[in-house]
Formats: sequence, C-alpha cells, structure tokens
Amino acid sequence: MGCGLLSCAVLVGLWEGVGSNSENPITQVLPPPSQFLPVLFESDFKIGLGSQAASIYQSVAVTLVRVLLGMAIAFIGSIFCGLLISLSKWSELFILPILGLIAPIAPIAWVPLALVVFGISNLTAIFIVFMGVFFTLTIATVAEIKRIPENLLMTAQNLGGGSFARWRWVIVPAILPGIFTLLRLNFIAAWMAVLAAEMTGLRDGLGTVVMTGRNLFNSDLIVLGICIIGISGFAVDRLLLLIQRKFFWWQV
Amino acid sequence: METGDRNLPYVSSTPILSCQDLAKDFFEGRKKTTILTDLNLQVEQGDFVTILGQSGGGKSTLLKLLGGFILPSAGQVLFHGVPLKKITSKIGMVFQENTLYPWLTVEQNIGFGFKIRGKKPDQYAAKVNHVLEKVGLTQARQLYPQQLSGGMKQRVSIARSIAVQPDVLLLDEPFSALDIQLRRQLQMFLASIWEDTATTMVLVTHNVEEAILLGRKLIVIGDKPGRIIETVDISQQQFRDRYDNDFLELQRHLESVIETDVNTQAALVKAGETR
Ligand SMILES: Nc1ncnc2c1ncn2[C@@H]1O[C@H](COP(=O)(O)OP(=O)(O)OP(=O)(O)O)[C@@H](O)[C@H]1O
Ligand SMILES: [Mg+2]
Repeated sequence: MGCGLLSCAVLVGLWEGVGSNSENPITQVLPPPSQFLPVLFESDFKIGLGSQAASIYQSVAVTLVRVLLGMAIAFIGSIFCGLLISLSKWSELFILPILGLIAPIAPIAWVPLALVVFGISNLTAIFIVFMGVFFTLTIATVAEIKRIPENLLMTAQNLGGGSFARWRWVIVPAILPGIFTLLRLNFIAAWMAVLAAEMTGLRDGLGTVVMTGRNLFNSDLIVLGICIIGISGFAVDRLLLLIQRKFFWWQV
Repeated sequence: METGDRNLPYVSSTPILSCQDLAKDFFEGRKKTTILTDLNLQVEQGDFVTILGQSGGGKSTLLKLLGGFILPSAGQVLFHGVPLKKITSKIGMVFQENTLYPWLTVEQNIGFGFKIRGKKPDQYAAKVNHVLEKVGLTQARQLYPQQLSGGMKQRVSIARSIAVQPDVLLLDEPFSALDIQLRRQLQMFLASIWEDTATTMVLVTHNVEEAILLGRKLIVIGDKPGRIIETVDISQQQFRDRYDNDFLELQRHLESVIETDVNTQAALVKAGETR
C-alpha cells in the first residue's frame, strides 16, 4: 500500500514536471493534475453545459449504481441458475454448451442491442453488465458445485439433512467464495462495458464526462474524467476485495 | 445426556449391524478389482468393534459399506435386521479426511446436524454446550476449523457426530494423523465417550495397539482381496493395559498374522506372474 502510494506520487511528480512547460505538445493532450483539478472547483463540481450539466458526484454515483446493481443481479441469478442446471445431467449436457457459446461475447458487443431494446435508460447499462458477467458465473457455478468434496455432502446427509437443506447449508456456502472471486475478476469487463455505453449512447454517468470534454475540445475535462474513472474503478475493486475477505474468506 | 443404555430391556438378540457375504468390486474401465469378498460380520448393540488392516486393504471401503455410503457388489448390510440401502443419520460416520465445514465455527459445526434438520439455534444450544464440554472444546467454540490443530479437528468431528445421537458410530482412522501423545489422549477420550453414551462403535485402524486397546471385538482384514482373517474377543480388563503380558502377546500375535498374510499374498501374486 505504502509503496503503491509512493510510486503514484512519483508518477504525478513526473507528470507535473513535464507539464510545467506549456510549450510541450504532450501538455496539450495530457494536462497535469495542477491544471485539470482546478476545473473541478471552478465549475463547482459541475460538468457540462446548461440542462445537460451534472455534478461529478452524480456521474460517479450513476455509473457505480449501474455496475454494482448489474453485478449483484448477475451474481444472485447465476448462482440460482447454476444450482438449477446442476440438478440434472441433461440440463448440463444441453444448456452448458449454449452458455459456453454466449459467455465469450464481449459485454461491449451488447451495447447496440441493449440501446435498441431498452432505449436510453439505466436498464440498458444494467443489462450490459449483467450479460457480461452472468454466463461466465453460471458456468463457474456448475463447475464449483462439481468440485465440492463428496464427503462434505455425505456428512450433511449423514447428519440428517434432506436434499434442500444440503443445497442451502452446504452447496451454497461451499461455492460462494469461488463465484465471488470470479465476479471480482469480471468487474473490470463490466466496468468497461458500462463506460462504453455511457460514451456512445447514454446521457449520464462517468463515460459522459469524458465525451463532454471531447465535444467541448476541453482536454482538462477529458483527463479529469479519465482520472476519476481510474480512481473509482480501483476503489470498487478494493471494496470487492474487502467484501471477499470479510464475508467469503473460506476455501473448500 | 439421555442415552439408549446397553442394559435396557428392549435390546434384542439381533445384532444392530451385520453383513452377509459382503463383497465390493471397483472397475477401472473393463478391469475389475475385488477389494472385499465374503465378509460376514456382526456388531452387537453397545459393542466396540475395531477393524484392523493394512493400508489400502479396503478398510474405508468396508466402513462406507457399513454406513450405506456405497452399495455392495454382492451380499448385504443389515441394520437392525433390515437391509441398508442408503445413508441414515442413525449410523454416524467420522470420515478419514477432514469434513468440517470451513465456514462454520466449532460450535456451529457441532450444531450442524440440528440446523440442517431445520431446528432453531435455541432448540439445540444446550445440547451443543453439553457436547462441547464433553470434548473439552468450550474455549475453542468460536474458532474456525482452519484455526484448529489436528487433534481438535478430530474431536470436533466426533462431537458433531455424537451430538445427533446415532445408534452406531463408524470411525475411519480418526487418530492416524496425530502424534503418539495426542493419539493416546484421544483414545482415552473416545473410550470415555463410549462408556457414557453407550453408542455402538466401529473403529477402523492400521495400528495394532489401538485396535486392542479400544476394541471389545477385534477383526483383522487381510489384503488383496480384503477378507476377515482373524476375529478376537478382547473384553477382559488386561487388554486395557498396554504393558500387560496378555496385551503384548496378543499384539505380537496379530502382527504376525498380518505379516504372514502379506507374505502369502505376495507369494501368490508372484506365482501368478511367473506362470
Ligand atoms: N471409488 C473407488 N474407485 C476405485 N477404486 C477405489 C475406490 N475407492 C477405493 N478404491 C480402491 O480400493 C482399495 C482400498 O481402498 P480403501 O480406501 O478402502 O483402503 P483403506 O484400507 O482405507 O486404506 P488406508 O489405510 O490408506 O485408508 C484401494 O486400492 C483403492 O485404490
Ligand atoms: Mg482408509
């Protein structure tokens, strides 16, 4: 953590060093923090013009809610579907290949379709995140269920547990950590997909901040947007890691 | 703890657990390997049976058959005189491998048998406390399995099984991974549990001393294929004393029985190869 902070500080220092010379062409496209950060305060944390203006907090919040909601729905949904699929050998044989075919589709590829179906709404963004995560996680759920040591299940039965109780109290907790780890790994893809949707179709969120900068030929705004995207993405990843350590720490 | 006492009048003469001409084969593709054959065995209510055998000789397989965890290739297992077809909570099993649930604390693991039957925590808290005390883990009740030593894990596993009061408890080499000191301690612990609860016990081990020390009836399983090669009744007191002459003599005798069996089987295999 300390080392990370140090190297970030060095990076910002270098950036400022290069940027202090305003003749430098790099400064035109990559203004240093001392130049783009004041934009935040001058504009009273508002980005954009007139009716389209939204506060920075709002943009961050909108994007985060979309990503987290989409991931939460996909997480619960995929565990549920994975459990259902693993109930029968046949559904595994017939459904898994389909999922395997859909899973590698990059979430960004769903953007145009989602825009057509749901229009310019939060639903579009949530749908994209969901599609990016759901199939991979469902496949993983089925695989995780197969990986549970048979003895853990037999012990539950031996202690008097019926099949539903074994699902609820053994299978679900046994697979949660693995699925959550995968959710965390898939977060980056979901995050990118939402930003892409916000840059191309949606009218609010973090991605729009960058696009507004582009439309106004304001490189300060563009770089500011990029930095906020980086920092909030990092923060969410840390948050997920924290949740994992706190709630899903065990290994079966 | 209220128990089915060994002296209660309803105890009938049918053995609580028995098997008739039991056999188990495993297949690797087309190739059949017979692990156990012609096993006839009777376990009386309240008895403590130890099964002694070589490593890889099919002891775990036999125990799984006796608990209904796997089905025999031939013959049958009778529980209270009725053929055993599936896993039942009346026959508890302590597996050779660790089967504690890593996401549950010691007390939650011990109470798991109640929770999974849909009981509310306040309905079984008293029982769990009682068992915790009996196995001496009251201090460790809040710990997770990964924080426990090997001996503690075994005690929790045993506690979890006895908490739900099975008629028979099957134990698969519960102490084999422990050092001698701890092993002896836990042997005493198991003997005391057996005395208090009168649960019928079947314990598998490859340790001759342990088999004599704990068992009231001792069965030796020969290797390849597994079958009973010796049955010993050891209900007398002197077999609870590791330094008694009778104990040592029996120990020597059993060791030679096992060794002879290994040598004969090896000779048979060799003869088969040269032919
Ligand atoms: N499910 C299975 N499929 C195929 N072979 C098996 C299976 N289970 C056990 N075996 C074989 O049966 C033999 C006996 O295994 P088992 O686990 O019963 O031995 P064991 O006496 O308990 O050994 P140990 O003392 O090492 O625990 C071994 O050779 C093993 O490879
Ligand atoms: Mg074994």
